[in-house]
Amino acid sequence: MSTVMIELEKVTKIYGQGDKRVVALADVSLQIKKGEIFGIIGLSGAGKSTLIRCINKLEEPQAGTIRLAGQEITNLQGKELRAARRKIGMIFQHFNLLSSRTVFRNVAFPLEISGVKPKEREERVRSLLDLVGLADKINAYPSELSGGQKQRVGIARALASNPEVLLCDEATSALDPDTTKSILRLLQDVNRRFGLTIVLITHQMEVIKEICDTVAVIDDGRIVEQGSVVELFARPRSAAARRFMKGVLHTEIPPEIQERMSAEGPRQQHGKTVRISFIGGMAGQPIISSVIRRFQVDVNILYANLDFIKNMPFGSLIVEITGDEANVARALADLTAQGLKLEVLAGVGPDS
Amino acid sequence: MWAQILNATIETVYMVGVALVLSALFGIPLGILLVITGPRHIKPLPVIHRSLSVVINVGRSLPFIILLVAIIPFTRWLVGTSIGTTGAIVPLTVSAIPFMARVVETALLEVDWGVIEAAQAMGASTQQIITKVLIPEAIPGLVLGVTMVAVSLISYSAMAGAVGGGGLGDLAIRYGYQRFRGDIMLITVLVLVAMVQSIQSFGGWLASRLNHR
Ligand SMILES: Nc1ncnc2c1ncn2[C@@H]1O[C@H](COP(=O)(O)OP(=O)(O)OP(=O)(O)O)[C@@H](O)[C@H]1O
Ligand SMILES: [Mg+2]
Repeated sequence: MSTVMIELEKVTKIYGQGDKRVVALADVSLQIKKGEIFGIIGLSGAGKSTLIRCINKLEEPQAGTIRLAGQEITNLQGKELRAARRKIGMIFQHFNLLSSRTVFRNVAFPLEISGVKPKEREERVRSLLDLVGLADKINAYPSELSGGQKQRVGIARALASNPEVLLCDEATSALDPDTTKSILRLLQDVNRRFGLTIVLITHQMEVIKEICDTVAVIDDGRIVEQGSVVELFARPRSAAARRFMKGVLHTEIPPEIQERMSAEGPRQQHGKTVRISFIGGMAGQPIISSVIRRFQVDVNILYANLDFIKNMPFGSLIVEITGDEANVARALADLTAQGLKLEVLAGVGPDS
Repeated sequence: MWAQILNATIETVYMVGVALVLSALFGIPLGILLVITGPRHIKPLPVIHRSLSVVINVGRSLPFIILLVAIIPFTRWLVGTSIGTTGAIVPLTVSAIPFMARVVETALLEVDWGVIEAAQAMGASTQQIITKVLIPEAIPGLVLGVTMVAVSLISYSAMAGAVGGGGLGDLAIRYGYQRFRGDIMLITVLVLVAMVQSIQSFGGWLASRLNHR
């Protein structure tokens, strides 16, 4: 079974004192499994950076323990802490490359500080630059690179010391949507290739949706929800999660359709307007036509939306089902039985 | 006359050169220590940081001409004389050290904190951060800072000349002023201006050559 890679237990971090006291993390507990891509999403100031920075002890929590591969990070000091940090890669929103060093020497930096021989260093740097697709920029300075290229150098540098964990602090927030996608794909690639555990924090649900397996929602220093990404999208429980979801999945009924629904209502005696939500394999099946055939009802599609969460189709459909009362009821029951989530928005006749 | 001017120029270059090297030798480590011991830097040591800052401020606030006289006994003890170019090097160095330390401080504080943190996250030690991050990243700023110290050393060396230190300042006072040799005065001033100009241009050129930001 999957083993736990990173474990946070009741971690509390407070900045300042008196009126300036800010509780950045309150009793945060998390378990991150080996080899997964774990996303942490929250609004600005929610405590995301603080949380990820506690994992390599760039911030020191006042209470709680953090274990990485069974080793307690929280009480490490000096040499031991530096040795532990070498097993944790980190990439940043603003890349944080050394402007005085070429791409080659930036990627070589972690190898240099851990005393790897020059010859070995060179081989390793070359293979890393091949991996991130920047072999031709080996002698460029960071100022000569685009944001996406800089982040690729950041990733190569973070991977240089063969870490078990990669921490990503808003790694794509400074990039345009296309570049964000390509960086996320690279992260997914290294996750699969090396079985690397990735922790990434973001305020963009798109990022979570694109590559994360598990997600935690942080709000005002507290984890308000955590679970698989699919689960979160299907059944968001916290208000914070629903707020993030809105922008990504168009679960809202578009205003034009809402207007039409209230103005006209279903046109026939026995009809219902239903929202059908589905997740997973349903997208490929001829559900609607089969219902029409089998129950002799009419189905009028008002609105449809299809999206993907980590290659899993996810969407909703707003339809008007009209016909004989009993048939409409049977049609609805059949759809529910197929595992679809049904929500009656308007209709005449008994609710099912 | 030309031989005198050449000789004085060599003396000035010698005084400024030696004082610059010595003050860099002491001032750069002091500046680094000042920065890294600061609050929220890589090695916070409040007591050391504050005492160092006070000492540097005292050194910076003493007018050079007063320092020159005040440390005569120290100069004598150290180099056996308080006059001539060798005697002038001591006060020049002493006054340039705190200046150099501040200039280094300014340059090092310019280094992007994110880069320092990235090095910490990679497991770099304090010493590695100093030698592989702080100094290389601050190089253009350091070059400009050292240039600034060199320029002010030239003007201080002229002052040291006034109290028997030799060099262009000495020549200007003794001939140009006391013996009403306007031509010598003019030429020494021109040489000083040319020196400052060339140091400044060279420093600026070097700093931009080394800047990859
Ligand atoms: N060094 C610090 N000193 C004082 N307060 C801090 C410090 N760092 C963070 N905070 C406070 O802690 C809280 C959490 O900050 P944090 O940077 O973790 O948020 P975040 O979720 O990463 O936000 P963002 O999306 O804007 O980066 C905020 O209220 C912030 O003001
Ligand atoms: Mg942040």
